[in-house]
Amino acid sequence: MEGHLLSWLTFAPTGGALLLLFARVLLGAREETIRRLALALSLVPLGLCVPLLARFDPTASGPQMVERAPWIRFFGFNVDYFVGVDGLSLWFVVLSALLVTISILASWRAIDRHVLEFHIFLLLLETGLIGVFVALDMFLFFIFWEVMLVPMYFLIGIWGYERRIYAAVKFIIYTMVGSALMLAAIISLYYLNGGTTFDILAITENARAGRLALAPQTERWLFWGFALAFLIKVPLFPFHTWLPDAHVEAPTAGSVILAGVLLKMGGYGLLRFNLPLFPHATEEFAGLLCALAILSIIYGALVSMVQPDLKKLIAYSSVSHMGFVVLGIMARTEMGMQGAIFQMLSHGISTGALFVIVGVLSERRHTRVIAEFGGLARPMPVFSALFGILALASVALPTLSGFVGEFLVLVGTYTSELAHARAYTVLAATAMILSAAYMLWTLERVLFGEITREENRHLPDVNGRERLALIPMAVLVIVMGVLPNPILRRTDRAVSEVKRGAVLVQLEPQRVPNPALPEAARQRAEFMKRR
Amino acid sequence: MESLGITYRAIGPELVLTVTGVLVMLLEAFSPGKKVRDGVLAAAGVVLAGVAALILWDEGPVTAFSRMVIVDGFRVFFTLVILLGTLLTIFVSWSFLDEERIPPGEYFALLLFGAVGMTLLVAGNDLVMLFLALETITIATYVLAGYRREDLRSTESALKYFLLGAFSSAFLLYGIALIYGATRTTNLGEIARIVSGPLGRAEIVLLMAGGAMLLIGFGFKVATVPFHVWTPDVYEGAPTPVTAFLSTAPKAAGFAAFLRVFSLTFAPLGIESAADHLASHWVSAVTAMSILSMTFGNFIAIAQTNIKRMLAYSSIAHAGYVLIGVLARDWAAVAFYMLVYTLMNLGCFAIVALWARRGDERVLIADYAGLGFRQPLLSFPLAIFLVSLAGFPGTAGFVAKFWLFKSAWGAGFPELVLIGVLNTVVSVYYYLYVVIVMFFREPKEEVPRVPPSRAFVATMVVALVGVFYLGLLPTRVFAFLNAAQNLLAIGAR
Repeated sequence: MEGHLLSWLTFAPTGGALLLLFARVLLGAREETIRRLALALSLVPLGLCVPLLARFDPTASGPQMVERAPWIRFFGFNVDYFVGVDGLSLWFVVLSALLVTISILASWRAIDRHVLEFHIFLLLLETGLIGVFVALDMFLFFIFWEVMLVPMYFLIGIWGYERRIYAAVKFIIYTMVGSALMLAAIISLYYLNGGTTFDILAITENARAGRLALAPQTERWLFWGFALAFLIKVPLFPFHTWLPDAHVEAPTAGSVILAGVLLKMGGYGLLRFNLPLFPHATEEFAGLLCALAILSIIYGALVSMVQPDLKKLIAYSSVSHMGFVVLGIMARTEMGMQGAIFQMLSHGISTGALFVIVGVLSERRHTRVIAEFGGLARPMPVFSALFGILALASVALPTLSGFVGEFLVLVGTYTSELAHARAYTVLAATAMILSAAYMLWTLERVLFGEITREENRHLPDVNGRERLALIPMAVLVIVMGVLPNPILRRTDRAVSEVKRGAVLVQLEPQRVPNPALPEAARQRAEFMKRR
Repeated sequence: MESLGITYRAIGPELVLTVTGVLVMLLEAFSPGKKVRDGVLAAAGVVLAGVAALILWDEGPVTAFSRMVIVDGFRVFFTLVILLGTLLTIFVSWSFLDEERIPPGEYFALLLFGAVGMTLLVAGNDLVMLFLALETITIATYVLAGYRREDLRSTESALKYFLLGAFSSAFLLYGIALIYGATRTTNLGEIARIVSGPLGRAEIVLLMAGGAMLLIGFGFKVATVPFHVWTPDVYEGAPTPVTAFLSTAPKAAGFAAFLRVFSLTFAPLGIESAADHLASHWVSAVTAMSILSMTFGNFIAIAQTNIKRMLAYSSIAHAGYVLIGVLARDWAAVAFYMLVYTLMNLGCFAIVALWARRGDERVLIADYAGLGFRQPLLSFPLAIFLVSLAGFPGTAGFVAKFWLFKSAWGAGFPELVLIGVLNTVVSVYYYLYVVIVMFFREPKEEVPRVPPSRAFVATMVVALVGVFYLGLLPTRVFAFLNAAQNLLAIGAR
């Protein structure tokens, strides 16, 4: 196990899913046993995150705990099983493992049909989630990226609400369009790099050293091939329309994972692929993407404000918060990118937990309409306190986690060399006020005031299992808000490396043309001259 | 004067299949109705033919029987794919034969004779040989398609298949005649040698016309748009196990012949030659066929309510993907694709056949409602095969598509790759629609229990292991194909 920590982490959930199946088929385990067993099994990867964090060296450059073995060998078809973590991926691995455990806790009562299959799909999904973040081979990355869709599709389609089929199909078609183009881009990039390897780091290194000489037009195509997949996932306006449907129709566990981890893959992908590999195209389109990010931030906040359904409100607020992520990444300052990563983690925890909160309410009242509630602070004090903390973290109240992320993004954008950087900052900052408005108004309508519905008078407060899910999350948003450094210190090194690759090198002679591609190199040199 | 080259080893697999077929038929004549005996004998014959094919593995490209037959890795691999398809079809037919009270001997014999035609088609090194093999296939398959004699749909299917098949054979024959006119030979090796040099004006015209006729003929046989119209009706009307057979083994054989004639014989050489002249035309024609097949197949499949018709349109779409490989002239990619397609499509049809029961009662997609958790032994494998057909990673369908697309990109067809990947997105919609119906919808009436037979379980095990093995650890099969490709490269021309 010593040298294979990441493999264990990735495939422990798959093993867990098989164990669950055996427990049912061979031992005839009942539903309650399956739930407990699944919870215990989800603690294995979470537990493995402890040695992961302990062994991670924040000062080292490049990936750590690397495992590499030849996998598919065929002339010109060298796929490696190549995994490792660096500052970009480390925390997302931890986040995935954490949120799956939380999801199982949150589904204890809500899932009463096909309990075995539910947990099997959830654990298989976890393998996909962790796999995406640790894969360092494009082929492997793509496999995890796609494999993850299947369990998610089943989670939405089988255990979702009324319009679940529509939502599941929309989710998968949107995502597949993006990933189909990414597949074409991967194949193309593979040939342009010489047709020998799918190794992301080797290709990145070539790009950094100027050996991956892409013609400007090719670079633009490739940039969009990757970016479209990631922007759909994030999701950035106008590719966001799948998100409200999927979030609202998914069961609580599905929403938690969607908001908590799946959206983050978009941001992670931009940092891992687009910025280091296609610096010129990124430079060219950064303004456009920032503008779309601002649109997402404001649009998401405005639409949230008018939602009567609590779950839909939180779904649209995700569009708004994830806009900050794209803004921070496209600002391409260290602070902006650090902020983007931090914002993703913070959003993963606070929004994930808010979906659990919605689940708690809808389990009790079988409705999520805000107008049905009011004055819940009296019958449910602990619930209200937790809801309050998590909602405030989501609207970026200082000392809570959301503030650190959004503040870093705003400062990072302000200090960036983007055109109109200040205007972007001002607009994004305005949206923070909007988000405070809709969240506080929601808190007021749900928690405070007179109790308007008789049914609400005797609602039971959160029970032990729900506390177990929600209190750690509330503690985490406070800790992350007060002490962000343990997280930032570990992402710092990787972010500065992305920045080094992403910001164009000014010194022309450093570029070493690839002797194999003289034509492309010449075109690239012309491109540089024209700039 | 070269010798006639009569080496029986060179047609070992075909001999074994023929002898087994005749034996099964004779046994049926003397003591009829023994399904297990006939079936086991037929399966053993197929396995033995596989062994006979594997023996030929290392024999580099050599020809036999006056250069009518060729022995190379290409042939051996395609032969194995066809035999796998035949073997699985024997399993799939197991309970169907009892339900329909069909004399098992003649059914198995026809399957075997069909397989003989297919393996000969793959082995053919002469246009006349190809034509003979094609006719052998079609006679066997016409009868198979019309096996449910009292059913109107089955009869219609057989008639349609027969008429359009005869029509396309005429095209092929005409094409062969014209090419003979241009090159004065029907031997593919000779033709390749002649077209690699310049030809006179008249010969070029004849060659063009002949090539076009051959393209139409092969287009019919492998069911590509615009020569696909027979496919949905035939697939729907034929008994389900026969549909399973028709959609896999003859298709693999057809693509092998297509590859052998177009990608290997009429391959452009990059010099001033008749082949290059011809190639500039056939490449654009096949490109159009490929794009049309993918797009039409996928979009029309969306609208289908009958699962057999849906799979028929899906097979048209897959033929479009495979044509990308024909264009890239990467026969190994095509061979691998056909292997994978045989596994996943036969897996699908095995379930469809089991669920359809006597007289094809339940073949609407709506009939699958509620199958999900009530019949997990049917629904989960079907979901896996459909996901593999859609090309999700982790399954063989992905590796096969990836290889095709990668070769096509390397060979300079990026636009085909883009159209191909976007088409897979379309296909996801209808493949997963079946999954929706099975898992997300409640049934209208009680879902009956369908006990799976042992032959069905065997099919599932082979197909599932194959789909995951080729999807996750394809290196060994890749190496096998790679060696064959190298041998072919050394020996060709």
